[in-house]
Amino acid sequence: MTPNGAILFGVLLIAATGLARDLTSLAIVLAVLLAFALASRRNLTSALLWSLGIVAPLAAFMALVWIGIVGRAPHEIAAGVEGSRAAATAYVALVCARLFLIAFAIQALFLRFSDWTSLAFVRALTAPALAKKALVLTLSLIETILHAIDRARTALIVAGLITRRFSAQNLRNGWVLVQTVWLTVIAIAIGRTRDKWPAEGTLARLDHALAATAPRFAHVDALWSGAALICLIIVLGLR
Amino acid sequence: MFTTPRLVAIALCAALNFAIGNVVYLVKLPIYLDSIGTILCALLIFPDRLAAICCAFMAGVIGIILTGLLLNPFLPWFVFTVLAIVLVSALLTGRATDTFRARPLEPLRFFGKVILYGVITGIASAIVSAPVVVYLFGGVTGSGSAFVVAFFLKAGQQLLNSALLAGLTTEPVDKTLQVLLAALLYRATPREFISMLRLPQPSPT
Repeated sequence: MTPNGAILFGVLLIAATGLARDLTSLAIVLAVLLAFALASRRNLTSALLWSLGIVAPLAAFMALVWIGIVGRAPHEIAAGVEGSRAAATAYVALVCARLFLIAFAIQALFLRFSDWTSLAFVRALTAPALAKKALVLTLSLIETILHAIDRARTALIVAGLITRRFSAQNLRNGWVLVQTVWLTVIAIAIGRTRDKWPAEGTLARLDHALAATAPRFAHVDALWSGAALICLIIVLGLR
Repeated sequence: MFTTPRLVAIALCAALNFAIGNVVYLVKLPIYLDSIGTILCALLIFPDRLAAICCAFMAGVIGIILTGLLLNPFLPWFVFTVLAIVLVSALLTGRATDTFRARPLEPLRFFGKVILYGVITGIASAIVSAPVVVYLFGGVTGSGSAFVVAFFLKAGQQLLNSALLAGLTTEPVDKTLQVLLAALLYRATPREFISMLRLPQPSPT
């Protein structure tokens, strides 16, 4: 499967999830998603647990608000009827199932490309060269920021401005840390843009490295995207 | 429009959104702080408003895509909120760049403009976010604002109204904080970097 095909499949399936109005529609989406995830022949446990971990706190909050405090579903509030906690529970279940499917769809797509590097994935994408370049530079700068945080933190601890543990001193001088990190990153960015990259021809090399060589779509993309499209049509029909 | 320094600024601001947004999300603070890079990008590229809109939107979208893929899969649904924040930042907040960089700092003007533009950004953001919060999350996003939603629902308001009113009470505070941090970072940015982001002016001769 190509990254383009995976993104198309993901967008169609997430659109179907967003448009689903009942648990039957969501069950159809789940069936397609599970088939896709199982076809990748990878261990789904971590993807399922991650998705559950994302949705569980939201579910707890929703249950507290809708079932515990409000005690009726939105359509009952709109109709001006007294409502019931059972209807509120059904509403919370529907919203949570939808959120779980969205989270799991992204994880299932990730699983497909778990052995790809970020650069290989971005290279295979069909997107404007500028967007691909900005994406790769962002990924590189995230690392730079994390290193800058590490260095600045160590330097400020040594200087006695902040401490390793939570303290009032950290609250007072926290802004010094933020400023130090920002200035470090800016200094690195200026150095790279003005001196390093032109000397090494980095951006020209990056353009060359990001030029897609693989086909945009594969046959298997059509299969999965077709399945997702049919799923979307069925969900629309059930609305 | 997309010169190499601007491309670096986009990447830097997207990375900033990702890094700060992640920290805030992981420590479960009742605020978002995930648009500081977007606002900062607009301030850095101002007064070229069109470039500021395009670059800041690109930074915001890359930020939410990365955060959406790696941490919070629901963030990409708020792409129109990013657009609203970009428009307010590039068309309004950018007007205060002189005040934000004035030396010595004029506290009254500085904080006055931060609060004014922060509140406007918050209102725009709340209006655009409300339909997504209602449809995707059923009005409850897992932050402290959920209790504000519950309060309005209990008072007999409809769901969309409740989510909007809750957004209007919480978003201006969050966005004022974001504009403040973006303005302080903008103030701390070396002049050399900002001049690199300006397009070379043609010589009068």
